[in-house]
Amino acid sequence: MGKRWGICLSASAPTTLSIFYKSLWDCHRIVFKGGFKTTNEELFKTLSDAVVSCKKDNVIAAVEKAKGQAPAVELIDNGLAAGMNEVGVLFERGKLFLPHVMMAADAMSAGVEMLQDELASGEGASTKLGVIVNGTVEGDVHDIGKAIVSTMLQAAGFEVHDIGRDVPVQNFIDKIKETNADMVGLSALMTTTLQGQKEVIELLKENGMRDSIKVMVGGAPATDAWAKKCGADCYAENASEAVAKAKELLL
Amino acid sequence: MATEYFLRMGDGQKIFMTKEDILADIEAGCADAADLGDIPALSEDEMDHMLDIITAPGRIVGVEPGLEVPVTHDIGAIRIDGDQGNSGVGIPASRLVGSMVHERAFGADTMELGHIDYSFKPVKPVISQEQQTMEVCQQNMVIPMLYGAMPNMGLYYTPDGPFENPGDLMKAFKISEAQDSIQHAGDHGIRDMVWIMQKLQKVGSDGVNFDTIGAAGDGDMYASLNAIEQLRKEFPNMYINAGMAGELVLGMHGDLEYDGTRLAGLWPHEQVLLAEKAGANTFGPVCNTNTSKTSAWNMGRSVTFTKAAVEASNIPCHADMGMGVGGIPMLETPPIDAVTRASKAIVEIAGVDGI
Repeated sequence: MGKRWGICLSASAPTTLSIFYKSLWDCHRIVFKGGFKTTNEELFKTLSDAVVSCKKDNVIAAVEKAKGQAPAVELIDNGLAAGMNEVGVLFERGKLFLPHVMMAADAMSAGVEMLQDELASGEGASTKLGVIVNGTVEGDVHDIGKAIVSTMLQAAGFEVHDIGRDVPVQNFIDKIKETNADMVGLSALMTTTLQGQKEVIELLKENGMRDSIKVMVGGAPATDAWAKKCGADCYAENASEAVAKAKELLL
Repeated sequence: MATEYFLRMGDGQKIFMTKEDILADIEAGCADAADLGDIPALSEDEMDHMLDIITAPGRIVGVEPGLEVPVTHDIGAIRIDGDQGNSGVGIPASRLVGSMVHERAFGADTMELGHIDYSFKPVKPVISQEQQTMEVCQQNMVIPMLYGAMPNMGLYYTPDGPFENPGDLMKAFKISEAQDSIQHAGDHGIRDMVWIMQKLQKVGSDGVNFDTIGAAGDGDMYASLNAIEQLRKEFPNMYINAGMAGELVLGMHGDLEYDGTRLAGLWPHEQVLLAEKAGANTFGPVCNTNTSKTSAWNMGRSVTFTKAAVEASNIPCHADMGMGVGGIPMLETPPIDAVTRASKAIVEIAGVDGI
């Protein structure tokens, strides 16, 4: 510190001052972090940055540190999911690519898994907001987006039954009956499999179940217009919107 | 009522717009490139010049005298004969005749011999035929005659090749396995491309055109740059063109590097530096056309990306101008009004050395 101070003094006074103040600020932050509880914003940022790093070890370490310092739902929503949204933005801009998105999603899943116990015992765990069956329709093997939606719904207090990807139409019906679900989420990432969402809705009608359950559709090719056309109750563009729409329809 | 000018959508549809709307689209396309590539936008004068080019009254336009650049043609050898939806004209002619017509009638400054499939991998089993045709072309022609093909690493993955498809592996979250597959395919591709060009250099080829580098992502560029490097070492005087597939190198692997630089996410002004380092003589910057946008938007974007590459480059930049690239509409045989306008802009504003 002293050495840098000396060099700076002889070189440039404005630079010296800025470094000095920055050093003071850094020291303040260290003391603050060491002596007091880290603020929620810092916690969320650490979690978000860990997801953006696309490294599972970083996410695990960040979640380990953050556990208990804020409700699990907030850690997921404002930290991990926020990081995943940032990954999406960087993907759109050509700064991150498919393997990174996959690694980030995998890392986020590991982080969410670590918070499962807290989710189960935390706020909202005792008062379920509703039961939702969520799955990717038959012929479509895409899983990540749907898995994130499931996690977010669960984090928000819904009882979620994620029945996976490439799910046969009948399996949706069976699971809805088995769990007495209030809502079904249908995901499709390809235009060729989008029709599968409509097939599930048609089968719900044939079984006389359509009036007793809400249907949400999502995935890259789905739109509001498609939701209306195929007879769904709503379309959600992303995981956060899925939670908001589910609350809107079920509460 | 304001005067409206004829131009195109990126899919070739004829549209009419006012000068103000055209300029707004030029500015928007330019801003998009500047934002994505973190490069300077075009100046107001340059955008006004582009506006003049687009609204010029003639059906075709040309560069001002003295600004002419060398022009060549990829796979022109079969352009005369081909008539299977590949923009050929269906006149029975050998590849030699096709090449000579380009040299002596069309004024091409260089030409290349290309296989009907136009990828390196399928050339291996017919290398003797390619050698013979190249030799005959060299004996009959004066202009530089290169061999051209696409690295096309997609052919190395299942079901077309020996390596497991990284797309399938990725879907199953087998990320490191997918990356390994891309790396292995890349290493295999390097060996193939070098071997093919060794054979063609033996019969007097003047060089090679790597066409659509990066079409299969960063693995494709990794293979191409390493092949260029090896060929440059073995053939110091060989002429090598590194032509790209798009403005952005997609990261299918994500972490592949060349000489310490990550390949995924490189824009033209960054790509050219690696092509130069590998040993290419010329670089072919590419900007893909957005079919939902106007030619004004596409030209603004294309010229901005290309100008940045030209300014960053120490080797000549020969822009790829054709269907779906360089601000030209995505049509098999693109309309001449759009082709000449985009070409004039890329020469006069971006300052390319050739097309």
